[in-house]
Amino acid sequence: MAIFNLKNREIECKVVYYGPGRSGKTTNLEYIFKTFKKQVTDQLVSIDTEGDRTLFFDFLPMGLGKIGGCDIRVQLYTVPGQVQYSSTRKLVLKGADGIVFVADSFAIRRDKNILSLKDLDQNLKECGLNIFKIPLVLQFNKRDMSSMSDGSIPIMSVETMQNDLNRQLKVPCFPASALTGEGVGRTLKESLKLTLLHLQKELKWAQK
Amino acid sequence: MSIKEQIKSILQEAEIYRVQGLLNEAMIKYKIAAELVEKNVKQESRQSLIDGITKKIELLKGTILKYNDPEKTPEMPVEIQNLIKDKFAFSADKESAVLEGAIALSKFGQYERAITEFSELLKNDSLRLVAAKNILRCYFANSSVDGALSKYEQWLKSGLFHEGQIEKIRFFLENLLKDKGIERELPIADVPEEKTVFEKATIEKPVSGKGLMTDIPQQEEAEEDEFLDVNSVGIEITDGPQKGKEIVLDVAFQSGKSVSLIIPGREKTLIETFKVGLKLDNVQFYSPIAILNGSGVISAFTKIASGPKMGSFSLDLKISA
Repeated sequence: MAIFNLKNREIECKVVYYGPGRSGKTTNLEYIFKTFKKQVTDQLVSIDTEGDRTLFFDFLPMGLGKIGGCDIRVQLYTVPGQVQYSSTRKLVLKGADGIVFVADSFAIRRDKNILSLKDLDQNLKECGLNIFKIPLVLQFNKRDMSSMSDGSIPIMSVETMQNDLNRQLKVPCFPASALTGEGVGRTLKESLKLTLLHLQKELKWAQK
Repeated sequence: MSIKEQIKSILQEAEIYRVQGLLNEAMIKYKIAAELVEKNVKQESRQSLIDGITKKIELLKGTILKYNDPEKTPEMPVEIQNLIKDKFAFSADKESAVLEGAIALSKFGQYERAITEFSELLKNDSLRLVAAKNILRCYFANSSVDGALSKYEQWLKSGLFHEGQIEKIRFFLENLLKDKGIERELPIADVPEEKTVFEKATIEKPVSGKGLMTDIPQQEEAEEDEFLDVNSVGIEITDGPQKGKEIVLDVAFQSGKSVSLIIPGREKTLIETFKVGLKLDNVQFYSPIAILNGSGVISAFTKIASGPKMGSFSLDLKISA
């Protein structure tokens, strides 16, 4: 849950990048860190193991400046995607104000995307949150892999991914390549927009 | 597509998955490629191809094994531990936040630092017991049963805990040992029953912090909805062969200071003891963040006549102090 400091008119909110292992959550944050230098307020903290797998979480603090008379600070987190880190995912998800779900476009990862979305739903419930109510954005990552592999890698169509993941949710979704940065900024901006609108409804912080 | 092209394409796919860190997917593709080679490639070039793929499969197996069976969680640099402590404590109340930070450290496997943080909380009367239990948990999670035993013995001698508290710690530690398959009688407390060294030192200084006090607030003005959520209630048996033993019952329902408990029909000693109006003096109220000592009066006690809990008893306890 966002922290609203009424006296200093500051809001600190939390956006969590969720998704199956190796879908590109950390790569998203790395790209944001490199590209949004003005907004990034500190170092990207990344805790990974030998094989580049996120062990605990990644953390990137950002400052969006004044919006509606309030100083907005955002903390971006990623969760470890591997199945065995379920309790860590739950811990990182606690207090989230917005979610970006990073899905893998490789056809071979279709089931893993669906399982991870179900896992998100379950973990949100355990945190007292609702997947249909929390500001959520989908990102279909690795769209560039088809051309990079000369078509030898089966990539799901956007329609298939929409049907698998967004049929019921009907939330904004963005094709992306976290490696090249394509779609990363749009995903983040939409997520921040939805999160701040949601917080405005909850906290009524913005001055008219 | 010819067989040669098919094999080439599958191997290319496998390699991309491997580079992407999708090791199981890479493994599947390498195995498919190996099967295709086995069945379709002429004998003279078959063996060298199979050898190459087998080598890749073996390397992958080793990496997968390493990831699936990770070694102990590494101890993180202090800056990261500080970040965990700071960012995973959500309570506005300072004491609760310190406790949450220490718990987060232990959940992230930073046991040594967590023990240091919990040890600081031992100075706080209201958090001493919960901090002590968490310290023992950390030792066990860090595969250091000896560390836990040695800490317990140190506490026995220190006078930090009063007899009731050290008994609870002993019971807690014995259960942790049992879970590990270790049956061991632990030394019993030899400390004064009334006050601990810290209680004596801070007797004039009541501890603040809503929801974290070891005793139920006595103020009349304490609103019912301000009372902590209670998960379970420990009641000490005062008579019979089990005298002194604590029975822990789950809370089925709570409304402010009134909790409903279900007592299984087999708990005959308890059932025979209870009647409406009886005051229970030594009751532990277990909430997610603290253990409260208090007392209560039985306001209703009935046998459940139907449904899945038929034969059990429903007991309503009004928390009185």
